[in-house]
Amino acid sequence: MDIPRSEPAGAGDDSSVPPGPGQLEPMLVSIARLGTSGLLRVTGEPGGVIHLADGRITAISTPGAPDPEAILLRSDRVPEGGWSSAFAAAASDGRMAAELVKRDLIGAGELEALLRTGLADALFALVAGSVQECRLEEVATPALLPLDPGAEAEWLLAEVERRLGVLAGLRTPVSPDRDRLTAVQGAWTPRVGPGDGQAEILALANGRRTARDMAFVLGRGVFAVTLQLSRMCDAGLLVIGSSRSAVRAAGLRAVSAETAPPGPADAAGSGGAPPLPRRRRGGGQAGARPAEKASVLRMLRTGVRREPSGG
Amino acid sequence: MSGLSESLHRILEIDGARTVTLVDVGTGMIVDSVGEEPAGLPAAAASLADEARMASAAAGPERSGGDLEEMLVVTPDRVHLLKVLSRTQDEGFMLFVDVDRARTNAALAAMRVAQFAPAVLR
Repeated sequence: MDIPRSEPAGAGDDSSVPPGPGQLEPMLVSIARLGTSGLLRVTGEPGGVIHLADGRITAISTPGAPDPEAILLRSDRVPEGGWSSAFAAAASDGRMAAELVKRDLIGAGELEALLRTGLADALFALVAGSVQECRLEEVATPALLPLDPGAEAEWLLAEVERRLGVLAGLRTPVSPDRDRLTAVQGAWTPRVGPGDGQAEILALANGRRTARDMAFVLGRGVFAVTLQLSRMCDAGLLVIGSSRSAVRAAGLRAVSAETAPPGPADAAGSGGAPPLPRRRRGGGQAGARPAEKASVLRMLRTGVRREPSGG
Repeated sequence: MSGLSESLHRILEIDGARTVTLVDVGTGMIVDSVGEEPAGLPAAAASLADEARMASAAAGPERSGGDLEEMLVVTPDRVHLLKVLSRTQDEGFMLFVDVDRARTNAALAAMRVAQFAPAVLR
């Protein structure tokens, strides 16, 4: 497949191609083989921007999955104060990752691992969604926390394919960006112990949030949260309450449609559905404010939780 | 080579080690891997992550034994070592080390992995 090439940076002549469903993957593979550097702008639902260096993927920004900043801060891996100090000292000249490690806010290995899993999660969101157009721009726009060296596109795509297969095989299929989950009253008991994340999810499962929404609040990967939601549905702790209006998302839609039983989610449609969180400058999202997470944690500490079932 | 790969390569130097893999417990994703890459490794990693999660359900800070730290699976030919490196909520990272049993002692391999493991995420 020939990749439309833009003029060198500064020429102002970008190229675009309407790839159609499923064409993002071969495009990325071709870009990798050509060793292209720049940005691949993907429009669609959720859409995003893929940062490329010598054909490798170094960062992905998409509203479909939390970025590294959200993952580091909302999971409490890095304290906000430390992040702000590191940002002020190093973000402008592209040394954010080194600064975080230098200040002992996170280990270099853990940061690299989180960046790699974050890339897989973001590409999963892009591939599973709908792609309307891809535009390759050979410009250098550094990401705040790039993976260095970047990840091979084929390796990431193989992981995305594995994830789609896992979702297809779930006993209770959950669409990451459509299905809203509701906690079953009285079903929960802390038998697995703290740290398994179930209590936090139950506190968020108010019938208005999808797996994606919860991932942003908790600073976790969308796919990981989706798997946990499915397991919690299997255990009778959650039910799929309603579903967002369908967007053309070939991957996940196909996955869910084949195996999911018709439920209230589809019957309810999207009427009256609240809007999904919107990104805001500085890495936050309206639906994922630290204050919201703090209120969840406060609820948990003060014991506002479902009645134990006695088991 | 990335810093993560360098750390995994140090563990690969343990006698009999064939594959050293860092696995994301929450998704079963292979984050990085060095050494041999047998067919089916991604599926095995995902399966091991499930096992670690289930084993964690039987452990935990409120249990007498505490949190899950490692698992050892021994077959006539192989020793599979799973070492939990970090854990928050329902996710975290763990090491999977595939060791040739004929070339090492299982307890010794576990001890060596435990020595190297803390450096992986640093």
